[in-house]
Amino acid sequence: MRLKIGGIFLLVVTVLFLTGFKIPSLPVPTPSVPTPPMPGEARKAVDIGAKTGQKALVAARGISESEEYYIGRAVAARLLARNPLSQNQEATLYVNEVGQAVAQKSSMPRTYRGYHFGILETSEPNAYACPGGIILITRGLIKECQNEDELAAVLAHEVAHVAHKDGVNSINKARWTEVLTTAGTEAARQYGGGVAGSLVNLFEGAIDDVFKTLVVNGYSRGAEESADREAVTTLTRAGYNPAALAAILSRLNSRGGGGGIFRSHPLTSQRVDVVKMLVRQTASSPQEQARAKRFQEVRF
Amino acid sequence: MKRPGYVSGPGLWVLLFLVMVLLAGLSPGQAETLKVERPNTQLYGSPNFGSSTLGTVPPGAEVAVISRSGDWVQVNYGGKTGWLHKTAFPQAAGGVKLPGLLTGGPVRESKSDEVALAGKGFTPEVEAGFRQKNPGLNYAQVDQLERFQVSPAQLAAFLREGGLTP
Repeated sequence: MRLKIGGIFLLVVTVLFLTGFKIPSLPVPTPSVPTPPMPGEARKAVDIGAKTGQKALVAARGISESEEYYIGRAVAARLLARNPLSQNQEATLYVNEVGQAVAQKSSMPRTYRGYHFGILETSEPNAYACPGGIILITRGLIKECQNEDELAAVLAHEVAHVAHKDGVNSINKARWTEVLTTAGTEAARQYGGGVAGSLVNLFEGAIDDVFKTLVVNGYSRGAEESADREAVTTLTRAGYNPAALAAILSRLNSRGGGGGIFRSHPLTSQRVDVVKMLVRQTASSPQEQARAKRFQEVRF
Repeated sequence: MKRPGYVSGPGLWVLLFLVMVLLAGLSPGQAETLKVERPNTQLYGSPNFGSSTLGTVPPGAEVAVISRSGDWVQVNYGGKTGWLHKTAFPQAAGGVKLPGLLTGGPVRESKSDEVALAGKGFTPEVEAGFRQKNPGLNYAQVDQLERFQVSPAQLAAFLREGGLTP
């Protein structure tokens, strides 16, 4: 008898386990009485309630790859309004080749519309990772690099920011929730003027958030260290000398001066030391020398 | 006298059956298939981005898995055998999934409303409105930047000459 009860108990527990402890929901009768017309205030309250419910529904959805792409385009358009794109085809091809060589060995080798590398016409050394894969490096920063491996190190660091979504992660969370609730309204589906207009305003706000992080306030120290760490792995996988990252960071840090790059990518002696600890200094290989030679031959 | 604490007879058979069902659910299937989720997914001849492409696999397409090598999955799609990078299947990352039996089936089915929401947000229409509102932005050079392409042959030669990993 004891065994029989034990067996039944075991069976019940197992069935519950297998069904994921789902209890069938019983249909709840709903009154079929027509809803009386609501006064304005009450309707407003219901709307707010519906919106709150919808917020809960969509809160889990992150920014999609295509949305990230449109954000990145807008950020790039804003950066290119300040400093134009270099029209030097030889240098652009070279930077794209180095960039693709590292991007394909990163933790995110492909993005929605791929990686694109461009040179900004300014002598101020800096580099920007726009969400989705547009990476802009200034002519000033290329001039700071002494060889191809150092250029690869800078680009691998920027690719890591794209892969880690450090740009889009700076978008205000409340703003993003607002985007989703606005996009979810019936009017937005038809792209009625008012709602589409508010989506444009929200988009504008999101671009401001990302731009502030990329240009004004800079990434967090944690994001920088994480991007350095990934850049070391990427460079190693691609066949570049990872010590080149320590070399370029060290040079920039010793120059000091608190330029734009110090705001965009907070650079401290501690960060340089961490990178130095990650990489082992090795003698320059014949391939590295061949790469350095072709770097010297490009007229930036 | 029966010894308490042991399961025997029909109870034992039920227990054995359930254990077998659980084990069958946990093991990966004989013919594993994966669904491609990323747009612009290319099928490559070898497990590296420098190899020749055999065609594009559209999002939603199911591919039969043949083997795996590092970050790459060898698949059969549309009569062609080639390699897809693991990023083509963001949902499948993390190895063997627990079967539906243990988790109560798919956690949640997408409702039509959520699908509608997922399709909206920052779209080309929103970009158009943003551009209209901010005519000073340099979208022309963004388009120029995106048109610039390095061909697979160019990249392969660049990697070879620099002693880099394809």
